[in-house]
Amino acid sequence: MVRAIFYKEWLKLRLVWCLAFVIHIGLITYLLLALRATLLSAGTIETWATMISRDVLMINQLTYLPLITGICIALCQWLPEMQNKRIRLTLHLPIDYSQSIGIMLLSSLIGLFLLFSIDAVVLAIAEQLWLPRELVWRTFITCLPWYIGGFIGYNVTSWCLLEPLWKMRCVNILIGAPLVALCFLTTQPACYITMWPWLLVVLVATACLPFYSIYRFKLGKQ
Amino acid sequence: MRYIKYLIIALSLIVIAWLLPALYELVIPRTDKMPFVVYSCLDSTFIRFESSNKQIRYVDFRGQEFSKTQADSLLPLFAFRQLVAEGRLPDSLYGVALTPKLIQQNSFHFKTSPKQLNKPAVGLYTMLESASGRVDLTLPPDVFRLTKDGLEFIDCETNTINRAKSVSFTRELTKHGFTFPVQLIWGNSSTRKDYDNGFLLTDANDRLFQLKMVKGVPWVREIKTDNINGWKQVFTVEPANRQLIGLVVSNDDQLFAVTRDGKTVLVGIDAYDPQQMQITIVGDLFHWTITEYTATDSRYYAVDAKTFEQVACEMVPDGERPLAQRIERWLLPIRLRFTSWRTQLIQPNINDD
Repeated sequence: MVRAIFYKEWLKLRLVWCLAFVIHIGLITYLLLALRATLLSAGTIETWATMISRDVLMINQLTYLPLITGICIALCQWLPEMQNKRIRLTLHLPIDYSQSIGIMLLSSLIGLFLLFSIDAVVLAIAEQLWLPRELVWRTFITCLPWYIGGFIGYNVTSWCLLEPLWKMRCVNILIGAPLVALCFLTTQPACYITMWPWLLVVLVATACLPFYSIYRFKLGKQ
Repeated sequence: MRYIKYLIIALSLIVIAWLLPALYELVIPRTDKMPFVVYSCLDSTFIRFESSNKQIRYVDFRGQEFSKTQADSLLPLFAFRQLVAEGRLPDSLYGVALTPKLIQQNSFHFKTSPKQLNKPAVGLYTMLESASGRVDLTLPPDVFRLTKDGLEFIDCETNTINRAKSVSFTRELTKHGFTFPVQLIWGNSSTRKDYDNGFLLTDANDRLFQLKMVKGVPWVREIKTDNINGWKQVFTVEPANRQLIGLVVSNDDQLFAVTRDGKTVLVGIDAYDPQQMQITIVGDLFHWTITEYTATDSRYYAVDAKTFEQVACEMVPDGERPLAQRIERWLLPIRLRFTSWRTQLIQPNINDD
């Protein structure tokens, strides 16, 4: 049953995942080409010096992409399910409803993790050709809260979409949006290093929230 | 599901504790203006530049107010350009013949704050050539990192380690008694300056050294210090008169000036904790005006520019908070912020105003 649900989610979202993959790889490629162009035109020494002394990493365009991806995946996953209450079918599967919803959520979180990991690996492998490991690591830890923001964005959007009542949906947005914003408080590189444990707590906490919405749905809140 | 309900309540409370103070501050912005203060060697008093209603008032700590012209006269070394333009610059002061060039050469400005210091370091440094024979400084073809047993130079073009240069600098430091790993390091990698003093660095035994590159080879000197219980912070400075190479702060919050001849001289101020206080130094031919802003007060010192002995001191407690802040404290007893005046790091701070 678990594999079947995973497969169903893949069938439902495969086009979206492929599109997300293309966009992510496209943007990462663009960022790397832009970095290479800067190294060639401005000079390696000047570019390194700027990156070291002025806290510049040349990856700003990546900031909101993980968040947009997380929100889009949640929209594509749950909007069709919530239209005409099709999700009822899932809730009537011969396994516990929280388990089936959990597998659906997990499938997307794993997908996001794979997608984000591909970003990080491609970025790190390519950057280490031109930059010292300190700047590659700095790029990674600067991006990390943005990617955590992508997961939190997915969780919060799922929580809001699965909620059966519009009034509560608005309340959920009011609570969820600031939790997402927590990952985007500064543009300064590497300034989230002491915040990671807290962001992970928020990530785990928000992963639990969709279960409450589906519980309310199951109770028949209209 | 009961636990998730509690979780939602907890998250809501966190969001409220964070957003309401932020919203309050957005509606009623804070206007904490720190006055600029300079010591007048003529009047032996501090003159505050207080801006209110787009006008600047010149007041001393006795409450006496001056006109702009009077303030310029009382601060001839600070306002020398204006005095030269008006033909009012004194010929000499305390037996020293004044020229704009002399005044300019002995002007010194230094400013730092906890927020500037408390941020994640890149871990890469640029060693400029300090005796290139050219007027302009240029960027070197490499940067260096600190390892547990030396320095490692990385060639920018090839992104590979320059072994020969790394060994040369590491060996020179070791030869002068430096024990790795480096504990503290500070250098100014900007090329927009007249000359380069290299780096001040402390070793594993808390000994203080100066390292620079002279004609491509390392130049090391130990800065002798007596009875110092370790260093908390080091700064390299490059004043136009070339009399100083740095400012260093000991673990017991004493500020020392590192002179050109490699000696440390205690600066006559009470205490300076770089992690908690913002400091501004405005130096001229005769005095340094040192301003420290702490969480509870502002401290103003005048020290002799040659001996660094204290000449004058004023401490001004912050006084009662503005009404808007008192209302905020009463309305919002728990204020959660993720940014702080102390650090660039994002981290939760409760009631850290």
